[in-house]
Amino acid sequence: MKLNKVLSVVALSLISLFAACDKIESDNYLVFSGASGEWYDGNGVADKSQRAFLDKFTGIRCVNCPTADEAIHAAMEQYGDKLIAVAIHDSSTFGMPVEGFDLRTEDGNTWRNTLRGSGGLPAALVMRDGDIFTPTSGIQAKVDPILAQSPVVAISVESQLSDRTANIGINLEFLQTCNDNLNLTVFIMEDGIIGQQFQPDGSHKSDYVHNHVLRDVITDVWGAEVDADGQAGTKRFCNIKHTIEQNNWNLSNCKVVAFISNRSTKAILNVAECEL
Amino acid sequence: MLIAALVAFGLTSKAQNVLGGGQVSGNIQLDGQISRADSLIGSENVPEKLLMNARADILYTNGNFSAGLRFEAYQNPMLGFNAAYKGQGIANYFAAYNGEKLGITAGNFYDQFGNGMILRAYEDRYLGLDNSIRGFNVKYRPIEGITLKGVIGQQRVYWDYGQGIVRGLDGEINLNSVIKPFAESKTRITLGAGFVSKYEADETVPSSVPGYKLNIPQNVGAASVRMDLSHGGWGLQAEYARKGQDPNVLNDYIYHEGEALFLSASYSQKGFSANVQAKRVDNMGFKSVRSQSGEMLYINYIPAITKQHTYAFLTLYPYATQNTGEMGLTGDVMYKIKKGTVLGGKYGTDIHFNASWIAALDTTTIGGRGTEGYTATYFGTGDAYYADATVEVAKKFSSKHKLVATYGYVLFNPIVEGHAGDMHHNHVFIADYTWKINKKNVLRLEAELLESDSKYTPEVDDKRCGDWIMGLVEYNFTSNFFACFSDQYCYRDGNGANYPQLSVGYTHNATRLQLGYGKQREGIICIGGVCRQVPASNGLTFSLTHSF
Repeated sequence: MKLNKVLSVVALSLISLFAACDKIESDNYLVFSGASGEWYDGNGVADKSQRAFLDKFTGIRCVNCPTADEAIHAAMEQYGDKLIAVAIHDSSTFGMPVEGFDLRTEDGNTWRNTLRGSGGLPAALVMRDGDIFTPTSGIQAKVDPILAQSPVVAISVESQLSDRTANIGINLEFLQTCNDNLNLTVFIMEDGIIGQQFQPDGSHKSDYVHNHVLRDVITDVWGAEVDADGQAGTKRFCNIKHTIEQNNWNLSNCKVVAFISNRSTKAILNVAECEL
Repeated sequence: MLIAALVAFGLTSKAQNVLGGGQVSGNIQLDGQISRADSLIGSENVPEKLLMNARADILYTNGNFSAGLRFEAYQNPMLGFNAAYKGQGIANYFAAYNGEKLGITAGNFYDQFGNGMILRAYEDRYLGLDNSIRGFNVKYRPIEGITLKGVIGQQRVYWDYGQGIVRGLDGEINLNSVIKPFAESKTRITLGAGFVSKYEADETVPSSVPGYKLNIPQNVGAASVRMDLSHGGWGLQAEYARKGQDPNVLNDYIYHEGEALFLSASYSQKGFSANVQAKRVDNMGFKSVRSQSGEMLYINYIPAITKQHTYAFLTLYPYATQNTGEMGLTGDVMYKIKKGTVLGGKYGTDIHFNASWIAALDTTTIGGRGTEGYTATYFGTGDAYYADATVEVAKKFSSKHKLVATYGYVLFNPIVEGHAGDMHHNHVFIADYTWKINKKNVLRLEAELLESDSKYTPEVDDKRCGDWIMGLVEYNFTSNFFACFSDQYCYRDGNGANYPQLSVGYTHNATRLQLGYGKQREGIICIGGVCRQVPASNGLTFSLTHSF
């Protein structure tokens, strides 16, 4: 009996000590320790796909916008992760709040003022090529040529959320030499926001599900300068640490989108997204 | 501090009067050196003229209570000892209670679990290392045959203590004591298991990827299980240890887990004994401070299986245990040819054969710092590190005359000392003759010859290279006095250096004084596979020891 007690104490002690060991998973051997927003040599990008990016300008009071949502949703089903869309709630009359429900942002307004022009809603751009169209149809004709291109630069984004601070890592790999000045833009969008939306029949739907809603551009609104020589084969890495101060976001529904754009024309070269 | 501990213990101990009675014992050792420049052997002038290592161990015992301290002085450290030892002071102290069931030590202590593969705190003054742990050590023997140990503390590093905290638990059970039907069995079985964990705070270790640092495990664990079995003249000992991810300076900060296996089988009877040992070590360098290279702060110890040679030319290229990875096998056979036979003669003839072989693991590199590092096959081997084979025949011709003749072959890969170079193949021939002239006078003559394929080059500057010859004359005038003269000379393919040495010694009761004058070749000394660089010296050495 005494022996059993002794062995039990030894076993429990050993178990508790075994628990005092750290095990690091192989994909976590390295952690970023550089300065936020600085560029470093990187490891490259595993998925070197060309993806398409669609800006959708929309509004809660826009009765035709749900039709555009359906068309964009169908396109996203078709293209999978090769098409990334963001809904920018417009600051025009059609984007005004309804019963306090407001999805407008200051950054979205800045983008809208420069990119949308004076046309009505809904409106869209693919890769910010300057060709505004109504996204209730014709999305495929815009996206297919983009995806058929050989990408100039591959991009990937990863995010680790600790408490309310996100460590966002962006890897770039130049697949072709690019002599243009490039910017990196990173923003957060949220899916599954339930609220008001005017419908094509003129009714008000209070439980409409708004997806990929722009929440915040965490770099400069037009992006941060990419520090890279642009030579084919160049691999660069940038980490951005961002603390989310807004309490009304559902962080588990949020995504991070990062894209590379031409600094002067604002045309997008490639894009990637991940869970926040 | 010791006095404070004594008083504190005295105040709390009701079992006995600690400050009354008791016994004080200890030993004192002073080693000194005067060396001057000699360009041929590579010795340099010593600015201090005199270097000295000194220590005094004082032990107080009173019944179950004991306390002690060690005063050390390095003014300045002798050649080959780390300059960080410079200084003097009380290096170690402890107070201990050792009762029938419970033993507690507070302060510095030495201990080991099993063969030491996960924990061995020890010191070796000749290697200049002291890995003592300062903290608490508790031993508990709840019933006969079971011993439990718990340790916690920090390890000494010269005059400081490493920031890593070492925690360990060990249990050992003797089945013959615990299980009554086995009590009288000829088969004796002891089982043991231990676990050691090291905590060290995070630090920035840059990776090879800019902007990234290593994700360092702050708690590193190592565990082992062991068995000791004997039956009559047979013995079998086995221990297996594993260590968790431990990126450190020894393994260039890789995440490969460590493991080690040690096996030993032996048989002995009158006039014959044999022993076979094997080990496999994979990334088992375990230190309490991950950035510490050198000899200090090892938590564990990998047992050496190569023979600890004593003759000069067989120790010229000692083997240093490769904690990062090695596989080895050794065999040792002793046989005494009986008296009265043709070969045994009147006194019998002792034959001792020993062979060892150590090689690198068979590894495939995955990457460097911040990766898994490599993979290793379990039974495959890479390049040979070391091999030796010796045959020693000891023959007593009469009550006064004895000859020991030895042949040894040594294969040595310089990579084990951290530098590239061709493999060395050495043949060593030794004759060791002893003449007991009378009860008080003994003459010993020793001759050694080393034939090596190594050649001295100024680029590598290994002054051990080449072919050597050595002679030694030792005379013991009485049991108190001795004088010895030896000379080692590299007669071919070396740098032409000559190393004469004269030493005399006097022993009276517990006091011993030894003086030496001559040249010391630079090289490496290893004790139990742990090694220290010995620089060349030219001059006087002295050593005084006294016990009380």
